[in-house]
Amino acid sequence: MFVVDDHALVRSGIRAELGDAVDVVGEADEVGAAVELILERVPDVVLLDVHMPGGGGRAVLEQVLREVPTVAFLALSMSDAAEDVIDVIRAGARGYVTKHISGTDLVDAILRIADGDAVFSPRLAGFVLDAFADPAHGLIVAPSIEPGLDQLTPRERQVLRLLARGYAYKEIAKELGISTKTVERHVSAVLHKLQLSNRYQLTSWAAERRML
Amino acid sequence: MRDVPTYRPELADGVRDVPHSSAGVPVQGLGIIRRRSSSSATSLSPPPAGGAAGPTPAHRRPMRPFQRSTGDSILGGVCAGLAARLAVKTAVVRVAAVVSIFLGGFGILAYMAMWVFVPVADEEESIASRVVGERRELQIVLALSSALFAVLLVTRSLGVSDLGVPTLTLLVGAMGALVVWRGASTAETTRLRERLNAAPGVAGAHSGWRRMAVRTGTGIVLVLVGVGELSRTGSFSGAALGVFVGTMLFIGGFLVLFAPWWIRTLRDLSTERRERVRAQERADMAAHVHDSVLQTLSLIQKAAGDPREVVRLARSEERELRYWLFNPERLGRHGQRPESLAEAVAVIEREVEDSFGVGVELILVGDCPMDDGLSALVGACHAATVNAAKWSGCAQVAVFVEVERSTVSAYVRDLGVGFDPALVPGDRQGIACSMVERMERAGGSVAVHSTPGVGTEVELVLPRPTSAR
Repeated sequence: MFVVDDHALVRSGIRAELGDAVDVVGEADEVGAAVELILERVPDVVLLDVHMPGGGGRAVLEQVLREVPTVAFLALSMSDAAEDVIDVIRAGARGYVTKHISGTDLVDAILRIADGDAVFSPRLAGFVLDAFADPAHGLIVAPSIEPGLDQLTPRERQVLRLLARGYAYKEIAKELGISTKTVERHVSAVLHKLQLSNRYQLTSWAAERRML
Repeated sequence: MRDVPTYRPELADGVRDVPHSSAGVPVQGLGIIRRRSSSSATSLSPPPAGGAAGPTPAHRRPMRPFQRSTGDSILGGVCAGLAARLAVKTAVVRVAAVVSIFLGGFGILAYMAMWVFVPVADEEESIASRVVGERRELQIVLALSSALFAVLLVTRSLGVSDLGVPTLTLLVGAMGALVVWRGASTAETTRLRERLNAAPGVAGAHSGWRRMAVRTGTGIVLVLVGVGELSRTGSFSGAALGVFVGTMLFIGGFLVLFAPWWIRTLRDLSTERRERVRAQERADMAAHVHDSVLQTLSLIQKAAGDPREVVRLARSEERELRYWLFNPERLGRHGQRPESLAEAVAVIEREVEDSFGVGVELILVGDCPMDDGLSALVGACHAATVNAAKWSGCAQVAVFVEVERSTVSAYVRDLGVGFDPALVPGDRQGIACSMVERMERAGGSVAVHSTPGVGTEVELVLPRPTSAR
């Protein structure tokens, strides 16, 4: 895997947390170098800081995925700004975790991403629930090419809610009486909708949180 | 010393002491400032006392230099300063000044001149020298004065020239005010603003309604007087067509000549205002960083030996900073009733993290204004979070609150020791009861799921009143 973060302290912290569990093939502290090195070394997973000078994580995502679409990105951030987080997900990141995440959870998330799954931290689940709020609540929704993309199924909503409550995939599976694989499928579906739905073209949805 | 210039004999009637000084002393003040700055300033507002610069009192006993007063001022502190200089009562000078206004408006001119040319007690530079020293200020003042001058010329050409001396006086007074506005130091501007705000009719009236009434009333009176004056001088009669056309041409010419300059100056003004706003924001930011982040960092250094305290400090600072950056609406106001659910649950997060050193991961979906039912929910949620922080032995508690159309639900979850709800002794059910009772009174429900060794989750659900949906 590969670490992109503009703070050396964070990078070394991450390396220390990861230990031997994953093989770190390189790191970079700015957009240009990151793109160059990632394209050169083609890691399985890139751990990407959302906020970086020179275009942020989004710029790295776009430039790399244009060349090598197989690289999986996991966004890592302190940000509470829903727009920023949703933005990198829409640009192609497969998951989002906060920098609070424990070492073991991070390793777990990286492995999961490497397997092609999506990783939702509770906070991201909260953001997504907020974003996919019932349109009846006053959110203006741009017309979608595929109508189904603008809504979550009740099951997806359930899964997201449990994620936001702090449940792990395994616990969600147990709670809902489904297999872990099914949970993963739901989460991937949500991720897909998040990336394709027109809903988030509206920039300020999170700023104007719905006041019910 | 009685060789006072005779253009102001009026003062001599009422007040014996004032005339000799109010003419003589400002001259001295002017002389001091002149050295630096009068050449170009004279064109703006010709100092009326300038002609009297000759008789400088040489044989007078040493007196305090003439400076405008800061403490005892009404507008520019001229009268108070003058009084201090002459060792007479301030009221005497003030009465004299007011009286002199009615004598051809002379008082206004003299006051403005002194205001502009005499420095304030604790400052070195006078307003005039500051304006002249700054190229941009000078430009702004010149531009606006030229606009004033144009207005005057237009009025004259309309045949209202009989207004004569008072008009001119007002014009020069307005120019003086302009110079003061642009050149006054920040301290003086602040002082002035406070004074003006306290003045009745500007903002002193308590209700917005009264203020508006005062303003509208004044405006209407002024308009009526103006119209009356115009029709009296008869420039509206049919014979005045030529005059009218000429005036229009004149105004057009003036606009062609000066409008670009005026516009540019105005734009400069707004740019400047924007820059000021930006600087203000930067200062606020710096103040915030200083008050919170730097403060906390130094606290952390002091508490370096106590990891628990370090974590607590770091966590609370992080939370504050996070809210400040991303969710200012959740910061709430200390000591006030929270107005929205977001504010209320943020309080839970803050208090539990601070008192127990346990991390609270708060996820909130949606938001709504607080009401009594929600207060019960938030209270129960608080109790549940405190319980989890106290008893679970877990370093992290997850709180999830969601506002939906028909319900508000809250989940408090920890992965701690857990307990068997059936085995809880009767006397330890206090908090559970208080949660249950509170929620049921509000029409909601509580469910506690706990498994020893796995964790606990408290589920709070409250239906929303139909009116709020």
